[in-house]
Amino acid sequence: MTPERWQQINELYHHALELDADQQAIFLNQACAGDAELRDDVESLIASHNHAGSFLVEPALKVAARVLGEARATLLVGRKLSHYRIESLIGVGGMGEVYLAEDTRLDRKVAVKILNTQFSQHESNLDRFIQEAKAASALNHPNILVIHEIGVSDEAHYIVSEFIEGKTLREMISESPLQLPEVLDISVQVANALCTAHEAHLIHRDIKPENIMIRPDGYLKILDFGLAKIIEQNPQSLPGLEGDTAKPNQTAKGVIMGTVNYMSPEQAKGEPVDQRTDIFSLGVMMHEMLAGRTPFAGATISETFANLINAEPQPLSSFTVDQPVEVQRIIFKLLRKNPDERFHTMKEVLTDLKHMREAVKSGEPSVRSGSPGDQARVLEAARAKGDTNKQSSDSQLAFSGSIPRHKALTVIGLLTLLVGAIGLGSYFLPAKTTASSIVEKTSIAVLPLRPINTSNRDQLYELGIADALILRLSSMQGLSVRSLSATRKYADIEQDPIAAGREQEVDYVLASNYQLAGGKIRITSQLFNVANGQIEETYKGEKGTADIFAMQDAIAGEVENNLSARFATTSSGREARRGTTNEEAYRLYLQGMYLIGKRSPADAQEAVAVLEQAVRLDPNYARAWAGKANAHLADFSGNPHTQYQRSMEAVNKALALDDNLAEAHSVLCSNKMSYEWDFDTARRECERAVALDANSSLAHLYYSRYLNGQGRSDAAIAEVKSAIDLEPTSLASQRQYGMCLYYARRYPEAVTQFKRVVAMDKGFGAPYNWLISTLEMQGNYSEAFEWLMKMKALYKEPEEEIQAYRTAYQTSGWPGLLRERARRRDAMSFRAARGSLYFQGAIEQAKVGNKDQAFKYLEQSYRAREYWMMFLKVEPGLDSLRPDPRFDELVRRVGLG
Amino acid sequence: MIKPSPHQLTKLLRAWSDGKPEALDELAPLVYEELHRLASHYMRGERAGHTLQTTELVNEAYLRLIDWKNVQWQNRAHFFGVAAQMMRRILVDFARSRHYAKRGGEARNVSLAEAAGVTVERDEDFIALDDALERLTAIDARQGRIVELRFFGGLSVEETAEVLKISSRTVMRNWSVAQAWLYRELGERTNDDA
Repeated sequence: MTPERWQQINELYHHALELDADQQAIFLNQACAGDAELRDDVESLIASHNHAGSFLVEPALKVAARVLGEARATLLVGRKLSHYRIESLIGVGGMGEVYLAEDTRLDRKVAVKILNTQFSQHESNLDRFIQEAKAASALNHPNILVIHEIGVSDEAHYIVSEFIEGKTLREMISESPLQLPEVLDISVQVANALCTAHEAHLIHRDIKPENIMIRPDGYLKILDFGLAKIIEQNPQSLPGLEGDTAKPNQTAKGVIMGTVNYMSPEQAKGEPVDQRTDIFSLGVMMHEMLAGRTPFAGATISETFANLINAEPQPLSSFTVDQPVEVQRIIFKLLRKNPDERFHTMKEVLTDLKHMREAVKSGEPSVRSGSPGDQARVLEAARAKGDTNKQSSDSQLAFSGSIPRHKALTVIGLLTLLVGAIGLGSYFLPAKTTASSIVEKTSIAVLPLRPINTSNRDQLYELGIADALILRLSSMQGLSVRSLSATRKYADIEQDPIAAGREQEVDYVLASNYQLAGGKIRITSQLFNVANGQIEETYKGEKGTADIFAMQDAIAGEVENNLSARFATTSSGREARRGTTNEEAYRLYLQGMYLIGKRSPADAQEAVAVLEQAVRLDPNYARAWAGKANAHLADFSGNPHTQYQRSMEAVNKALALDDNLAEAHSVLCSNKMSYEWDFDTARRECERAVALDANSSLAHLYYSRYLNGQGRSDAAIAEVKSAIDLEPTSLASQRQYGMCLYYARRYPEAVTQFKRVVAMDKGFGAPYNWLISTLEMQGNYSEAFEWLMKMKALYKEPEEEIQAYRTAYQTSGWPGLLRERARRRDAMSFRAARGSLYFQGAIEQAKVGNKDQAFKYLEQSYRAREYWMMFLKVEPGLDSLRPDPRFDELVRRVGLG
Repeated sequence: MIKPSPHQLTKLLRAWSDGKPEALDELAPLVYEELHRLASHYMRGERAGHTLQTTELVNEAYLRLIDWKNVQWQNRAHFFGVAAQMMRRILVDFARSRHYAKRGGEARNVSLAEAAGVTVERDEDFIALDDALERLTAIDARQGRIVELRFFGGLSVEETAEVLKISSRTVMRNWSVAQAWLYRELGERTNDDA
């Protein structure tokens, strides 16, 4: 084909694409008159275009890496490993792939698990793998998978076991809800097998529905003792004592090995575990079988982690109404955070479960359900008495039908539950702070809409209507409304309005569900009073979905009318606007804001891409421009110069379109203070943002950063507290609070705060570094060292580096460690684009007394326009440099003088 | 091989973007080597916990090789332009070597016809795409380059526009037709094989 011909095809192609199908045919007939080949060519290109979809959109490198991972699997099928012929891949686990294979000698089906090469490279993994097989083999229990052989071929290490035809418990749970008798039957079998394992001093450590295989006849097998650890047979290692005595088999301390959802708190924290970790995991699994979700599940791993460590499990009764009190008691006792408060042995668990199973079978009165009413009554009685250690006559009445042998236990267990519940209630009562100007307002969280019919759901409704409601309610005076970024995580089929309300520390929650049918949407919205759990308003409406935006606005308007009567408030007259009429752009905007909230550089980059597309579809979409500007800031992995340029371009566009956007002014403030060091303008912009939208958590957060850099600690703390009040779960705000305390040199409080952030999320924004710096400033080197090691293990830093730090610390203390760090920093200056390296380097050099080197780093930090320069005046780590005239000079040049 | 200093590399990059094509001959092998090393790391899964992002990888190579404080964004864009070419070579070479290794072994070859729809999921597809891209470049060099930058270089539409000094709209228009053409080419091949 000639380039000219191609050019012609291109032109026809683009022209035709702008037409409807009918017109296309007419157009091409005319344009290609007499040249059938040309016409075919263009038509087939258009057809290809219609099918191409995302062809080539995923970058090649990503595709290649994925293909490489799958290649091994395809390569193996059809091949023989020793006398096993591999037939198909049946699953992929943490340590390797599992294949169905034919044992050609014994003519039977077997399962072959092949260890990942990257695992077998490491001796410790390999040992663990072999240990799993041996330990499980030794058990010889009907509910534990039988191992036939452990082998090594030139290809890989592998384990051959019996092949179980059936479903995993995971598959069963996701198919249909399980009934109580079924749940008890499964739990008894699991407890039975674990009893035997524990008696053999073997802990499973990874009990979860994926590891339970259920045959069609109801018989189950526990798989994957991959994390099992033999406790050395030791008379001291009775239940109740730490079992971590067997050195050779010890899992590396601090390395998290299981699935967070099913982990015990001690396991998640990387502490020593014993049999009672399995007891906890069984509790999680039972809870999930009955409630349909795990008791600590959060929207992210880190949130689950934080719940597991800090939050009480959701009582079963908030998910299912009619579970017997005895079952609730058992699960409650399985799920105690403190291992000492759990069942002590699996044998005890088994005994109770068996009794329960018998009781359910024979229909004993003890198994009647503990309805929420019963519980509320007991709760009330316990409260009235003010002494939960004594049984009230009411509570005895409510549970008078217990199985005789367990009567006492039942009541005590339930009372424990009540104490927990009361403690929880008071802990979560909306915390009123005095620092903020917004506390007198009534606070409300609007949750994303919940689909009644899950097979027909649409984000545009779930988030879009919530967004419209939030915009509308925000304009009402006297109401403080949580942003969509705060409530978005409750977009789930399972939604607990009261729990969400407590977490968001609001007075009211507006929760809605919707159903789509025949071009219409039917919505029910309910206003929950968080303090007493009552529904105070109900709105029902039905609208056509032809014009989505009109529908959203109509619903928002009607709900607002309902609520304005209740709260006796009126609209402020300044109505917030959605800002676009393009559905697709709006959808992309919602997606982009979600990605920004995830706060990792990769997500921020994706957010940039998504928002770029949004503004391409609607170039006048100011909110999306402002979001894009903020996304550039959130990607802290990039080059600060280009990030700044792109953020500014976007923010200028946003402000040109709408000068009243608080988010845009916040971003502008951030660019002014962190890149331009134009602190006067930064202050004006931040103040403007707060004035425009006092309900914007972001506005308060950025303003707090500004005040922090200026050394106005008290004001900075007041602002960040406002930000936290508005969005209590925001890690950025929680971290900023710690930083305020650090710069204010209130170290003990800062340590407490950073520990809280670490518990909330291990991956976010290096809270570890802050914790370590603070401990260091306190002179608490031993703890600082401990956390440093924890952090390096968690981030999987090279063993060589970790060892070097350890040696440096052990031989010459903290100063030795600092020197080692400074030495390493010198060798890696190329990574300066990370944004804080030169500045950190200067702090390190200052601490080890290399003044000249420290100033050299500061000079480089200055030239690279590093973010942290805005904290030059207040950074305690630079104190030793302050008497030097070069320091004053630099402070002046940065504009902080 | 003696590793040249970031300063030298920066000079080469600048010379090349100032319109001295011979500088690329010196620059390319160095970029190739660094990218190859990084890419192998990623693909062997040695960088656990890292999301695989082409731009991140190229950025890392860039930061390692170039004295970035002393170059303009335009130079950086040029670097990404070189990198896309290199990534293409690296990935197609990876695919080729694996493809031959498979043929040599006793592995069962899955025929392309078994694949539903057209994708670039197999080594064979990578090689076929490379060939098709070659043909596209022969009739429309700019479209070939756009595909190279986006698919192999992992660049966004905006970045591609910046490298080629054309508007985003032009990138989108050309991308659309190039994508359709390549889709058709690879699809036809599938049918031929069946």
